[in-house]
Parts: sequence; C-alpha cells; structure tokens
Amino acid sequence: MEFSTQLSLFSTRFLGIFIEAVSFLLLGTIVSGLIEVFVRKEDIARLLPRNPFAAIVAGSFLGFLFPVCECGVVPVTRKLYQKGLPVAVGVAFLLAAPVMNPIVFASTYAAFGFGPILIGRFVITCIMAVAIGLIFSLQRNPIKMLHPRALMAMAGGSGAAAPQPSAPRLSVGQGIVRAARVATDEFFDMGRYLVMGTALAAGMQTFLSQEQIRALASDPSMSAVAMAIMAFVLSICSTTDAILALSFANFGFPSGSLLTFLTFGPMVDIKATLMYLSVFKRRVVFYMVILPLLMSLLFGIFINLNVRF
Amino acid sequence: MRTRQWFQAALMLLLGLYLLETLLTGEIAYYINERFNWLAGVAGFTLIALGVINVIALLSEPEQGKEAPKGAPNLLPNAPSVAHGVSARWYVLAILSVPLIFGVFLPAQPLGAAAINNSGVAFSLNVSGAGDQAFSITPTQRNVLDWVRAFSAATSVDEFGGQPADLIGFVYRDVRFEDDTEFMVTRFTVSCCVADAVAIGVIVRSEQAASLTPDSWVRVQGKFEVRDFAGQRTPILIAESVEPTAMPERPYLFP
Repeated sequence: MEFSTQLSLFSTRFLGIFIEAVSFLLLGTIVSGLIEVFVRKEDIARLLPRNPFAAIVAGSFLGFLFPVCECGVVPVTRKLYQKGLPVAVGVAFLLAAPVMNPIVFASTYAAFGFGPILIGRFVITCIMAVAIGLIFSLQRNPIKMLHPRALMAMAGGSGAAAPQPSAPRLSVGQGIVRAARVATDEFFDMGRYLVMGTALAAGMQTFLSQEQIRALASDPSMSAVAMAIMAFVLSICSTTDAILALSFANFGFPSGSLLTFLTFGPMVDIKATLMYLSVFKRRVVFYMVILPLLMSLLFGIFINLNVRF
Repeated sequence: MRTRQWFQAALMLLLGLYLLETLLTGEIAYYINERFNWLAGVAGFTLIALGVINVIALLSEPEQGKEAPKGAPNLLPNAPSVAHGVSARWYVLAILSVPLIFGVFLPAQPLGAAAINNSGVAFSLNVSGAGDQAFSITPTQRNVLDWVRAFSAATSVDEFGGQPADLIGFVYRDVRFEDDTEFMVTRFTVSCCVADAVAIGVIVRSEQAASLTPDSWVRVQGKFEVRDFAGQRTPILIAESVEPTAMPERPYLFP
C-alpha cells in the first residue's frame, strides 16, 4: 500500500482516538483539579473504612462516585494519592473504576442486556481489583511503589496551584482558578502518555493485520488470549467497548473470551499502561499489567471450558 | 524565562480551537460517533477556558514568585519555574503538539476501502444491534446498516427476495467476488471512534461493476434476489441503476 494512503489511515485513526480520549482525559483532570482544591486530606481519612480489606472493597466501588473511564481515572487516582489515599485502595480504584461506574453499566446493558455478560463483567472486575489491591497491600512500604513525581504535592511542590494541606479554605473563585491550573498540569503530564499510546494503537491498527487474531475465535483458550491482545492493542474507551465486544461475538468469540476482553481491556491497554507510568514505578506497572492479564485469562478460559450460558 | 508556559497556554487554546473547528466544519464525523460530538465541544471549550485562565495567571503573576519543592529538589533540574512542574518541559509540549500538527496540516479523510484491506476487518453480515427496529423502516429508506441488521435478525433470508433497496456506499471488492459483475456497497459503522470501525456491506450484482473504481461512492437502486454466495444463501441486490455520487457528509453509519 502506498505511503500516503497509510499515513492518511494512520492520521484518521490517531485523531479519532485522540479526540475521543482527550475529552475523557480532560474531564478526569478537571475532577482532579477540583479534588485538589476542595477535598482535604482529613476528608479521605474520615470517609474511608479503617479495615484495610473493607477500604480496598470501597476503593473498587469508588467509580460510582467518580465516574471516569481509563483515561480519566489516572489523574484522579494520582490526586487522591496526594490526598493520602492508601496505595492499595488506589490500585483497586484505578483498576475497577473504568468498569465499575454507571456509564459503563449503561453501555454494557445496551449491548448485551441484563444477563451473564453484564453480571460477569462487573463481578469479575470487582474480584480482580480487590484481589490485586490485596496483593499490593502486602507491600510494607507502599509509598515506594509510587513514582516520586506523583507525590510532589505531598512534598509541597506540585505547583502554584497546590495549596498546602493545612491551607485555609479558598473562596470559590480562587478555588476554581487553582483547580484550573492543577488541571493544566495534569493535562500535559498525562496527555503526553495519551498521545504516545494513541499513536501506538493507531499504528498497530494500521500496520498489523487482525485477521490471524480473529481466526483464533474457535479455540477456548487461544480465543481468550486473542481477546486480551485485542483489548490491549485497540485501546478502546471502556465506556464503549461493550459495543465492539458485541461485534466480536458475531465473529464467533465465546462468552468467556468476551469477558476477558471486557475485564482486561478497561484495566490495561496501551495508553492506560503508559499513563500508569506517571503514577507508579516501572516494576509496579509491570505487575499491574501482568496480574490483570493472568486473572482475566483464567476467568475467561474457565468460563469457556466449563460454563454454558 | 516563561516561554514554555506561554507556549503551553497557546497550545491549549489552539487545541481547543481545533476541536471546535472540526465540529463546525463537520469533519468530526470522520473521527467519532456523532453522539459524542457534544463531548468534543465541551472539551474544546474547556481547553480554551484553561488556556485563558493560564494566560491571565501568567500576566498577573510575578516572574519567579514561587518556592521550590522542598521534598524533591532533583526532579526538575532544568525547570526554572517549578510552578508548572514537569508538564511544561519542551519535549512534553512537542508531544502534545503532534495531534494539532496532524489535524491542521494533513487533509482530513475518512476511512475508505484501504482500511478494510489493511486492518483485516472482514465485513460481516452479522452485525449486532436492534434487528427488529430495522424492519419498521420502509425498505427503500433503509441504509446498509439497516439491511445488514435485518438480514441477521430474520429467521430466513428468503423473505428479502423481491424487496426494493436504494443504497449509498463505497465500492469494495475482494477475492470472493470472482467475476466482474459483483461488488459490495460498503459503509463503516463507528460505535465510539474510528478505532472500532467495522466495515459492513450489501452484495450488488451489476453489469457496470467492472467499470467502478474501488473506494468510489455510488448510489445503487435495485431489488434483492436470494442466491448462493460463498456457499451461503445470501440476499444479493440486483442493480437496476448504479450512479456515482458524492461522499455523504457523514461517511460512517452510527449504530
């Protein structure tokens, strides 16, 4: 194929994903800016359950309070960390929120109706997020898992915008200006990973053939692997991936593999993984990719082999 | 030196303007499902608002007025003003400029037949969705998506024999189309953004098929006959007329 045709295809896909995702990222950074200004550390400490297990479960349901997809969840999590959210609770929130929120519930319901896929998606996501949160809570010094820069506001330096934790409450007008400047910082800091991830996803869609992946649909375990790869490569927003999963169903992919796609994709994809690097150290990001991968494959293959809907 | 902060503010303003421009020109239809247009609009205005607030802040703040981060002195050795952290480094600004450069300097083009070959997205006659609602539309008013939905929702495709259709789409052919008399009138469906584009189509039989350029837009009118295609009973549109037409303003169908 001619280079100009490929460039044009790449450009269309790149801008398509970017325009879609940048809106959600902006919403996430605005929420993050508002948390920075209007939520105090004491609020988080007061509202969160004392029991670590209960706190992690609460974290995985926090998405119903902050409805964000995987582009918006990263700045929100980072800001909540700066406000003293325990690391393991944040991990559970980060992994679960892109699915465990009202928007995704609505889109999954629209695509599959109320049935095994909808229930399976939410139950499996919740189990995975809580389990991975618990694994991370075993770390004795959790702050070490975070990227130093992610904690800068705790050290008092994320910017002009960052009020000290003990700072008096601001007027609404001042607060909004500060929130806007925090949002600007977050937007550029996260946006660079979003742009790189978008370029990778668009590049893979343009230069790799998906035919072989689709050919794997009939095998119970390989089809789950294929769906996990598709979820990672396509980097589709969790708010709408259910509709695409429906088209995979028509290619003959079994329900378990669809659940792999619907649980792994929102937790881990190219752009989300890159954005995780702005919060966690590299080794931690590795575990945050590999654990959801293995668990979602396990669930998917088990369902393919043992469950008939 | 606050060049970078100024550049950052300008970049946000320009990105916001770009988003609003694609909305106003309608080019947004090449990129995302129209039900997310409002979101792109909100994003555009938000970026502009953030840009304006940053400009006002830059104008009203003293040059070097902010304290250094106490806990992390070595993180930003090159940043003279820590007020904006890592976010205003040149390479970050360069990366965020890329979408703007692509959007402004490359001509906007929707996905075409080349995207099918390349991504290997096989067209399918089993697109999901509300098949029932397709039946409530008058046959000649149905678009490619409505027909494909109706085909997959029908208990037997034989019921489509003799039904009239009037379709617009682009011309697509692959190895399954053995002779010069067949092609597919094809559209992309986009649920969210072009990343999830799926090509769907209706098979057309026409004497003019050989003269049609792949990827060109046509309007096909005719009646369905149910025949064997690649070993399957398939409704095939027997064309009474095939005329070239302009690409619609919204080239994709939104399920």
